Amino acid sequence: MKISTRGRYGLRLLVDLAEHQSEGPVALSHVAHRQELSEKYLQQVALLLTRGGFLNSIKGAGGGYQLKDSPEKIFIYDVLTLLEGYISFEETTQGQESVIERVIRLHFYQKLDQEVRKVFEKVSLAEVTKAEWFTYMI
Amino acid sequence: MVYLATCKENCSIRSISEATGISGGYLEQLMIPLRRAKLVVAERGVQGGYRIARSGISCHDVLNASEGDFRPVPCKDCEHTEACKTHQIWSMLQSVVVDYSKQVFIEDLASHLVEHEVGGGI
Repeated sequence: MKISTRGRYGLRLLVDLAEHQSEGPVALSHVAHRQELSEKYLQQVALLLTRGGFLNSIKGAGGGYQLKDSPEKIFIYDVLTLLEGYISFEETTQGQESVIERVIRLHFYQKLDQEVRKVFEKVSLAEVTKAEWFTYMI
Repeated sequence: MVYLATCKENCSIRSISEATGISGGYLEQLMIPLRRAKLVVAERGVQGGYRIARSGISCHDVLNASEGDFRPVPCKDCEHTEACKTHQIWSMLQSVVVDYSKQVFIEDLASHLVEHEVGGGI
């Protein structure tokens, strides 16, 4: 598993929107400028996040994007699952899975995924924005 | 590595390949960093082959040796690190993965194979 640019940029977009939510709808050009990310790419990610139910898109003059929920209710695991498709080290092999592959998958990768899930399900966008969530560190 | 842990004697590339389904050529390549990291020992000669170097090798040892530097997120030494709040998520992901993979030992995984008697060992 490698987290892709989509996951990383998407999260930066959400953090930026959370930090500027009091300003009303935020134009992606502002986010692009602040985060030094390409606006075109942000548009694609914003579209995904809107379809996924994390953002509201407001059209017209003064339009932009807003978080649909409060940052306390947006969890990092859900965001990454949407953007990355899945958060998993577990790989399904094509064709016949050998006994060794199965043992490693069930007893290592699958459990590793559970560990990651356990931690990331609890971390909300609000905590990331405040950088308070280090309390969750094991 | 899990297969090697089940073997009492040195294993040839061919027998490892048969058990794991990994091609011989690729196994040869995998052995280079594993030997360098002293996780496997290679012996020449008639009874030669590869064997696991010691007990207590973790999944992290193996992944770190074969991947070079094992990290799921490719952001390291990024210019934004200080200001980037999401960077902390990635360092947390990194530590969850590293901590867990340090707790799982190759022989633990191999013990699940005992019933199948893959290499006849353990």
